[in-house]
Amino acid sequence: MPDEPKPTTPAAPPAAPAPPKAAPPKPPAVMAWTPLESELATELKRQFGDRVVEASSYVGQSFFVVKRDEVISIIEYLKVEANFDYLVDITAVDWPKRVERFDLIYIVYSFALNERIRIKTTIPDGFRPESAVRVHRTANWLEREVFDMFGIEFAGHPDLRRILLPEEWQGHPLRKEYPLLQQDQDWVQTNLDIERGQ
Amino acid sequence: MMPALLKKILLGDLWEGLRVTFRNQNPKYIYTEQYPSQRPVVPERYRGAPRLRTDPATGKTLCNGCGACALACPEDLIVVGSERNPETKKKELVTYTFDLSRCMFCGLCQEACPTDAIVLTQGFELAMYSREGQIWDRQRLEEGLKPTVYKC
Amino acid sequence: MPETTFLDATELVLNMGPQHPSTHGVLRVVLKLDGEKVLGTDCVIGYLHRGLEKVAENRTWVQFNPYVDRLDYVAAVSNSLAYCLAVEKLLNVEAPPRAQAVRVILTELNRIGSHLLWLGTHALDIGAITPVFYCFREREESIKILEKYCGARLTTHAFRIGGLPAEPYDGFQKDVLAFCEMFLPKVDEYEELLTNNRIWIGRLQNVGVLTAGECKEYGVTGPMLRAAGVKWDIRKALPYSGYDKYDFEIPTRTNGDTYDRYLVRIQEMRQSARIARQAAESLPDGPIMAKVSKVVKPPVGEAYVSIEAPKGELGFYVVSDGSAQPYRVRVRPPSFVNLQALDRMVRGALIADVVAVIGTLDIVLGEVDR
Repeated sequence: MPDEPKPTTPAAPPAAPAPPKAAPPKPPAVMAWTPLESELATELKRQFGDRVVEASSYVGQSFFVVKRDEVISIIEYLKVEANFDYLVDITAVDWPKRVERFDLIYIVYSFALNERIRIKTTIPDGFRPESAVRVHRTANWLEREVFDMFGIEFAGHPDLRRILLPEEWQGHPLRKEYPLLQQDQDWVQTNLDIERGQ
Repeated sequence: MMPALLKKILLGDLWEGLRVTFRNQNPKYIYTEQYPSQRPVVPERYRGAPRLRTDPATGKTLCNGCGACALACPEDLIVVGSERNPETKKKELVTYTFDLSRCMFCGLCQEACPTDAIVLTQGFELAMYSREGQIWDRQRLEEGLKPTVYKC
Repeated sequence: MPETTFLDATELVLNMGPQHPSTHGVLRVVLKLDGEKVLGTDCVIGYLHRGLEKVAENRTWVQFNPYVDRLDYVAAVSNSLAYCLAVEKLLNVEAPPRAQAVRVILTELNRIGSHLLWLGTHALDIGAITPVFYCFREREESIKILEKYCGARLTTHAFRIGGLPAEPYDGFQKDVLAFCEMFLPKVDEYEELLTNNRIWIGRLQNVGVLTAGECKEYGVTGPMLRAAGVKWDIRKALPYSGYDKYDFEIPTRTNGDTYDRYLVRIQEMRQSARIARQAAESLPDGPIMAKVSKVVKPPVGEAYVSIEAPKGELGFYVVSDGSAQPYRVRVRPPSFVNLQALDRMVRGALIADVVAVIGTLDIVLGEVDR
């Protein structure tokens, strides 16, 4: 799904190949989001101006697309001013065909307003986003898992090491180029003393 | 004040718990099933050993070789071999292989089957002595599971 | 000059290894101790990592459903409910009322089962061996209903995207009502065994205190948050699957220690039986499956749906690219996030308290590691 303004970048799913008949090729399918009209959206736009790229909603769930350097300041603002004190999740999605291949998603919830929003940003491979640990302590393990699975390093994280996979594992499994049945053969052979893990 | 202190010294709260334990010592509360002389009654919808059903009247297999079960299986462990019968021009089943060692007994194959040929029956005694014994071919699937009957 | 030997060292690193009866699965906790007092912990997880999120990208939406049961394998039905709700949100369909009511009944029965298993194993860790037998006896009854309904006891695959796989069997309502009636006196029995027991109180009170502010900071949800005083339950705050039709309370306590969490979970079992009884009495008629095509192909989009699982907030963030295979399925596991707070809860406590705290966190490693 495109997170930049629609006209510039097509979505990651490949465009339909030109069919042999004379019908024109279909444009790639995109997420049918609608712009969000709410107090929070206007407040954020007023506070952060064009660093909030989009405020939209899809199937009734609102999300904000922001510039990658501003994510932590927006999350901090949300926690301090707008009472979004519970960080639900941090995750990433890999779109290998895009230049900015990772979608980094933060989901926050406010107990007082009973509202849950998503903050999305896109980052290229090799970019080191700022860590959210100083704002929410939950981010500690959540960011470690994103690092483990995707290889996105977080600058300022107190203890960035692999969490689900062994420390010496090479490769980041949830990237799309990592095959499903691949394992780090060196690690398996040295540590488990077997030929293959399967 | 005094009764509370007395209760504390005489371990009143511990006796309260022990009363529950002693109450449950009654032999009518014995839940142990004497397996294998008493086999457990397994409900009808239990997802156990697979079986390739045959039509009881004619004895011919109900499977028409469509392969819907193989497509539906999350683990890709069903292999359906079929060939077209030159006379009736319809697909007929030749070989059918089911790998039980990787099956998670989810039941998607029996849901996908249009003729109700592959079903998961109530057989749960699936332990074998070898890995190859877990790969069932068509004949084994049509026979089904025959658990040993013990005379105890 | 006298040599310093290991007896002079003040800090000891002790490994509570992956194979340990009290860690409820393959959890490794590296403890830094000063005598028997804990100075710090470091959890090493990943021993049960099966790569379910990667597997999801290689199966279809319908085929991934049985895998989801294996996350929190103690209460498999809740995981299935969360996944089906997430995909239904993407498809913009809602399950019909009959399906919603049966889903509620089975989820609440599973919640009772999960709390029973928690109570039995937690008591076993503390040293009380009796409750385990009684708890598993009741859990068996709830599992029997699930077995009669969908055919499996543990990894149930009980729901489908859009509704239910089959009609509830004849006698389903009667069985559920009989279970609820049988179950409520049993909860009183567990309370008789444990609540006033001086050993239980001594082991659990003021152990592993986590205040409400700390809970929100660490993202801890579920009974732990409610024991700290925050009256928040997703079933009431953001209702799903028809929960707003039923009348139930949210038990809360104030101290946020292990004893309070025990009391909250006991009360939750009673409330779950209440919800299941209401749902079974008022089971509506109608279809059991919404209009969903056989090959599920949600339009391009994403959604995050979370439910109140027995352990906390279980969320599924699903991304679809329009094809029959998910593009990304992210599981937000309650046990993973709750386990982070372990370090905070055992600072300055004894090793026996570490065991009590791991028990009260109610973690299931299938969910932590996925």
